[in-house]
Amino acid sequence: MIRIEKLVARKGEFKLEIPKLQLSKGKYYVVMGKSGVGKTILVWTIAGLTNVENGCICWNGRDITEVPPEERGFALVPQDYALFPHMSVRENIEFPLKIRKINKKIINKKIYEISNILKINHLLDRKPATLSGGEQQRVALARALVVDPPVLLLDEPLSALDPEMRMEALRLFYNLKNKNKNRIIIHVTHNIAEALSLADKIIYISGGTVTGEYSPEEFIKSSIGSKYIEDYNIIKEFLEKVGKE
Amino acid sequence: MRKVRVEIGLVALSTLASIAILGLFVPLLGIYLKLKPEYVREYILPEPYRSEILSALKVSLIASIISVLILIIVGVPLAYILARFEFPLKSIVQGLVDLPLVIPHAVSGILILSAYGSSGLLGPLLGRAGLRIEDSYAGIIAVMTFVSAPLLVDTVKVGFESIPESLVAVARSLGARRSQALLHVELPLAFRHVMAGALMAWARGLSEVGALLIVAYYPKTINILIIEFFDVLGLGPAIALSALYLLLILIIFIILRKVISL
Repeated sequence: MIRIEKLVARKGEFKLEIPKLQLSKGKYYVVMGKSGVGKTILVWTIAGLTNVENGCICWNGRDITEVPPEERGFALVPQDYALFPHMSVRENIEFPLKIRKINKKIINKKIYEISNILKINHLLDRKPATLSGGEQQRVALARALVVDPPVLLLDEPLSALDPEMRMEALRLFYNLKNKNKNRIIIHVTHNIAEALSLADKIIYISGGTVTGEYSPEEFIKSSIGSKYIEDYNIIKEFLEKVGKE
Repeated sequence: MRKVRVEIGLVALSTLASIAILGLFVPLLGIYLKLKPEYVREYILPEPYRSEILSALKVSLIASIISVLILIIVGVPLAYILARFEFPLKSIVQGLVDLPLVIPHAVSGILILSAYGSSGLLGPLLGRAGLRIEDSYAGIIAVMTFVSAPLLVDTVKVGFESIPESLVAVARSLGARRSQALLHVELPLAFRHVMAGALMAWARGLSEVGALLIVAYYPKTINILIIEFFDVLGLGPAIALSALYLLLILIIFIILRKVISL
């Protein structure tokens, strides 16, 4: 379990404040909020990549506020996927295993397994620059999942995809959620459909602080959630109208 | 008949680029047009000139290569720190790095003498370690390293800065220590900048003469020898030696650029 208390974290000029937040194993959390409110900083802070000025982050009862990111073992998939451009897909997926000095045979076995699950075995010898957005996303996910991280941090993983790929990726995350037993998954988005399809719990951030935690049903009924639904309906109505014309 | 569309912007760009190429090419053409074969026969090929020229070329090449190696060893870490960290007095450190670019070459020589010369700040200490700056290889290397440092440091710094922050963040979240992220992700991605910086630093070191006149006239580098040819033998022999040197450097430069794909 991750427990955050009285946290003040800073990244550049931006300050994130979280009075209290608890994240349980086996749950899929979706972090929502408008652009620039601190969603990305929340996942970067949990990963250990920002300066924490105050408060604490505890993992399974242990204070990890000062623990560097490499010792936390929480895997991050950023919005741009951040595939290492000088490495092939195979080398990208190998990277966290090689860093852990894992035996070559086991590395090959793990790459074989994860690339089968994510259907990227035909891409292993390609360079990231030659992949489509959807392929890059699956590779980034494979690289994060290959070490079986206890916490998976997904920063707007679907935002760079076209609608068709987005639907396919949504299915992928839905499967990930259904098979998840022990892992905490934190998924940042500002898309209501994504949040409602995946979340066990929606964490809402506004003005650099967590302002609420909701189940998907509670979120729809809340004033914030109904605003999202309203916007969604307006867009849907507009598109239907445009379609008829 | 098909009408050919002329893009005014492209024509203007090509004209300006041609002026730039001409500006660089004309002096080169000039020196080879003015080159008289008898000067080559009289002042380049026979002894003792030949040995002196070869020895000066050797000094220039060896000293400039050593200075670039020193710069890679200490300059790349400095560039990394400047690119990645905020610390007190950072702007002063950055200013110091760029200082050799903005001061007259003779002042660079005086600075080196005041710091590392026999009667300089660290001179006695270096002397005890058997190092003497005045008229020595060490002096030439010190001059070349000093004057070319900003070119390597600034180029490599830009290289590190151009690497997206998310790549380093991901590497670290996947288990890499800062040093491992640097070694496996940042350095390979900044490699071309390191090579470009090294090439420019090498070129700058080779071209230095003002500071060398003050710190280390001997052993003679090729630049000092060209000045000596001009002073003692006149313009003709100096043109012959310059033409030979230019040709050699041009060939090395073109090959190096090709090898490191710049």
